Amino acid sequence: MYDAQAPSPPKLALAEISSGYGAIDIINSLSLSVATGEIFALMGKNGMGKTTLLKTILGFVALRAGEIRLDGASIVGTSPASLIASGLAYAPQEHALFQDLTVRDNLRLALRSDAGLGQAFEGVYRHFPFLKDRLGQKAGTLSGGEQKMLILGRALMLRPKLMLIDEISEGLQPTVVEKIATALKEERRLNNTTILMVEQNLDFALGVADRWAVLKLGQIDDTGNVASGSRARILEHLKI
Amino acid sequence: MSDAALRRLNLRATLLAILGAGALLAVIFGPAVFDRFTINVLTRSMIYAMLAVTVDLLWGFTGVLTFGQAAFFGLGAYATAMVLTHIGASPALMVLAFVLAFLVPLLVGLIVGWLSFGYKATPLYATVISLVVPIVITQLAFSGGHWTGSSSGLVGYGTLPLSLKGYFRLSGICLLIVATAAFIFVRSDAGKILVAIRDNEARCAYLGLNPERIKILLTTVLAGVAGIAGFLFANATGVVAPENTGFVFGTELVIWTALGGRGTIIGPIFGTIGIDYLSATLSGELPFLWNLIIGALFVIMIILLPNGLAALVDRFLPGGKRSQASGAAAIFGNEAASAEGSFKEKPLLQVKDLSKSYGSLNVLKGLDLDVRPGELVSLVGPNGAGKTTVMRCLSDGTEMTGGTIVMADRNVAGLTPNEIVALGVGRKFQVASVFDSLSVADCLRLARAKRLSPSPLRRSSELDLPPAAADILKLTGLDRLLDQPVSLLSHGMKQSLELAMVVTLEPRLILLDEPTAGLTKTERTTIGNILQKLTRELGLAIILVEHDLDFVRQISSRIVVLHQGRLVLDGTVEDVINSDVVKSVYSGGAHV
Amino acid sequence: MIILLDIITTAAILFIVAAGLLAIFGVLKIINFAHGAWLTVGGYCTVVTTAWGISPWFALPFAFIVGAALGALTELFIVRPLYRRPLDAILATWGLSIVIGQLITLWFGRDMQMVPNLLSGTIEFFGVSYSVYRLFTVVAALVIGLAFAFLLDGTRLGLSARAVIMNETLARALGIDTAKVRLATFMIGTGLAGLAGVLLTPLTSVDPNMGVGWLIGAFMLVMVAGSSFGSLALACLVFGGAQVLVSTFVSPIFGSITVALLCALVLRVSPKGFARE
Repeated sequence: MYDAQAPSPPKLALAEISSGYGAIDIINSLSLSVATGEIFALMGKNGMGKTTLLKTILGFVALRAGEIRLDGASIVGTSPASLIASGLAYAPQEHALFQDLTVRDNLRLALRSDAGLGQAFEGVYRHFPFLKDRLGQKAGTLSGGEQKMLILGRALMLRPKLMLIDEISEGLQPTVVEKIATALKEERRLNNTTILMVEQNLDFALGVADRWAVLKLGQIDDTGNVASGSRARILEHLKI
Repeated sequence: MSDAALRRLNLRATLLAILGAGALLAVIFGPAVFDRFTINVLTRSMIYAMLAVTVDLLWGFTGVLTFGQAAFFGLGAYATAMVLTHIGASPALMVLAFVLAFLVPLLVGLIVGWLSFGYKATPLYATVISLVVPIVITQLAFSGGHWTGSSSGLVGYGTLPLSLKGYFRLSGICLLIVATAAFIFVRSDAGKILVAIRDNEARCAYLGLNPERIKILLTTVLAGVAGIAGFLFANATGVVAPENTGFVFGTELVIWTALGGRGTIIGPIFGTIGIDYLSATLSGELPFLWNLIIGALFVIMIILLPNGLAALVDRFLPGGKRSQASGAAAIFGNEAASAEGSFKEKPLLQVKDLSKSYGSLNVLKGLDLDVRPGELVSLVGPNGAGKTTVMRCLSDGTEMTGGTIVMADRNVAGLTPNEIVALGVGRKFQVASVFDSLSVADCLRLARAKRLSPSPLRRSSELDLPPAAADILKLTGLDRLLDQPVSLLSHGMKQSLELAMVVTLEPRLILLDEPTAGLTKTERTTIGNILQKLTRELGLAIILVEHDLDFVRQISSRIVVLHQGRLVLDGTVEDVINSDVVKSVYSGGAHV
Repeated sequence: MIILLDIITTAAILFIVAAGLLAIFGVLKIINFAHGAWLTVGGYCTVVTTAWGISPWFALPFAFIVGAALGALTELFIVRPLYRRPLDAILATWGLSIVIGQLITLWFGRDMQMVPNLLSGTIEFFGVSYSVYRLFTVVAALVIGLAFAFLLDGTRLGLSARAVIMNETLARALGIDTAKVRLATFMIGTGLAGLAGVLLTPLTSVDPNMGVGWLIGAFMLVMVAGSSFGSLALACLVFGGAQVLVSTFVSPIFGSITVALLCALVLRVSPKGFARE
């Protein structure tokens, strides 16, 4: 079990956390921290607990042990709604859009009220200009890649301080993956956004992140800064 | 079973026997002690209690919420009254009335059952139908004109030549018969099926049982019983009116059952008699306040104590749930599941061009797969690749949207899960799908139910299992936990139990959904050994979906890789480990 | 002509009665079995306003407020704990309706109450003499329908409600306070039920059981309609029409069970009813 510790005071700190469903613990005494403005890639095979980890941070899955701190303050027990309202955006992997609502309505729902809607839209158009022309279209009629960009755009509406992203690149064409990588790096450059992304796409993740960790059976198996040897190291863990 | 458990069981049995004897005495000698009013009221209460028992069997045990028993009761009462009013009350006609009072509700119950429990009907729909039936019957009674007496009902017809006390005793004895029969049934092996349906209907289907048919049968029979209660009522009270068939009465039955304690038989009996008697007694003084209290108690009970008062008592009585399971000495059946000849035999499973779409979303496309006896095939692939969809299509013939699946020479298109199980297929789910309210032994016995019909009277103390299942019990330590209620088992134990149950079906093909999810390293090894033994020694075929690729590498004879709904690679462990295609699929970025 | 008017006005009345129940079913996914009791409460609000000597029109907002307040208490203490047990929610709300019914009886007595009509008289309409009030109900139904359409499509609460109807888990993942949405929806649904009770007073006698008869019909219509007000309007027209035709040409008693019977059959054939999803 590794402790993936960052050098300066962390934006998000997980200390020895455990959580799970029913009788099972999916996350076992996991520790992790992400510095402000850092992009952190969490890799791992399916079923190893990546989505559960994100849900635990948000409070959708109850924490059974350990501490979770945001900017040094404990967020254990805070409702997901208030966490998200305070600037924590979440882009889920499955069923992430209201298929029958328009693009506009899907984006609107990211904010608590319609105040500041115009400005928020502008922020999203900077990364994904195509959305401007599709506001009235039902989200379910967009292509797979466009939907993922909408999901990311929606997460950006909040001008979040921390973004939790679950396998955004899954099933996408390389051109779209490029667009998303650019958007993430831009957003971090402009607003110093902290990003924790769960990924299985190695090249995409390593092209965007500053640090990485591999999750196995609910614990951190290995971690490091993104460097030339990272790819080979991670592949060792991910291969069959 | 331990001595202490045995003693607790005996104490419980003694208490029940005393209760039964006391009841019988009360029924026979009560009339000498009670005043006229009390005898009258109690006679009616006891008839209602018979109905409450039927509601308890349907709702408390089987999980079917029904307001419709009132309708069947009313049908029986009206059939009786109509014969006695319009034809006459001679002994022969009395018998006719009795027969009609039983048959008419029985037939209507059959129709209602068929309507309510079709494949894929929701429990809410069954409840909806159970509301509509009494309404329809009531309106028929209102509109029957001279035949049914319309809103005033039928009155003044000839009845059985019994005195007030005679009716009391007759009702009491009928109630005791119904209660005893119900009690024996729910404690028997066959009675466990009811609870199994309530706990986990899907698992029942996957054990080869037919929950729909069982529910229809239960509804039909209990409708007939309700009709007989109606016959008694028509005779004892001498008046039958539309209120006796209405849905308000139907809801009262549910309320009495709930307050008394659903799922206990005894609770609803006491609840009904108690509340009905008190209602009648307090009727003069504070009728509305009384109803108010009952209503409020009911609401509170549903929210805080859904299992009613009897369940509360049950917890404090000696020998609760724990000793209810019989001491089971496992006897190993003589039928050894034979190893099916050589491994190069004809395929057990032939899948050709399988596809599945949800509307315009294609989840599976053009899958070809052949599986032979003795193969241990692992289905792997990233999330959303379609693995669980494949499992679903293999176990439920109504799922696929294209292609053919042939199992044991039979095309499974359109077959329901229990029909596929009959072909020799067992399915084990990712989240252990067992029966939480029953004991380990009961669960295993239910797995055997398809081959060895369970007795509706007796409670077996032995367990007849195929050797493979018995082995699993020994290897995992479950053989020492046969009496244990399943709800107390650890997650790993529940997984092992489910596997034992599936193996008890003596299938030729087992489908496993992520069998190692949440298991410890030791538990994984044990399961892996068991699965390998099943294929190598017994010639079973196994298909499993897994994410733990180390496990897959260790036990599989063959690996099939899926990606975005298509088959990417199908080969031996070595083929797949060294394949570049698979590496790119798993490290992302591959587009097939 | 009269038959046509009867069909339209019957459909309108069914819509008014069922709308509140639909709102609750769509968002909370449970059936409020005390709906009939709320109709009764609304009816008795008219009794109260009459006793105070005010115009019965005032009973409309009054009943809405009383209904919504009662709804808030119910959602917090009865419905919320039973969130994961929908069948038990049906039972608990039925128990509640008994309690409310008895409270009303204890306070007001069991007898029928007389209240002044909101509108009376007949009017010449396309060559026939027809009840003014019944025609008014069509207007009322349209107003209610449009109000809901505006609420759902034009307000943030409506958008949040639609999100919760479609996918409650996702709504929560976006930070929508789904508990508040459920509470607000329940209050609006029950407030509307109270209002419907007032609107029913000229058509039916006001007594402690006035609402019960409407419950089953409303319930069945909601099950067929799913979660769309458009489907509800359609269902009310179709089944209300069938009810009128059966009542007129066969018998009024069979007419009263037409709605329930037809809905049960439709649901057996097509479990989602008229819902378009």
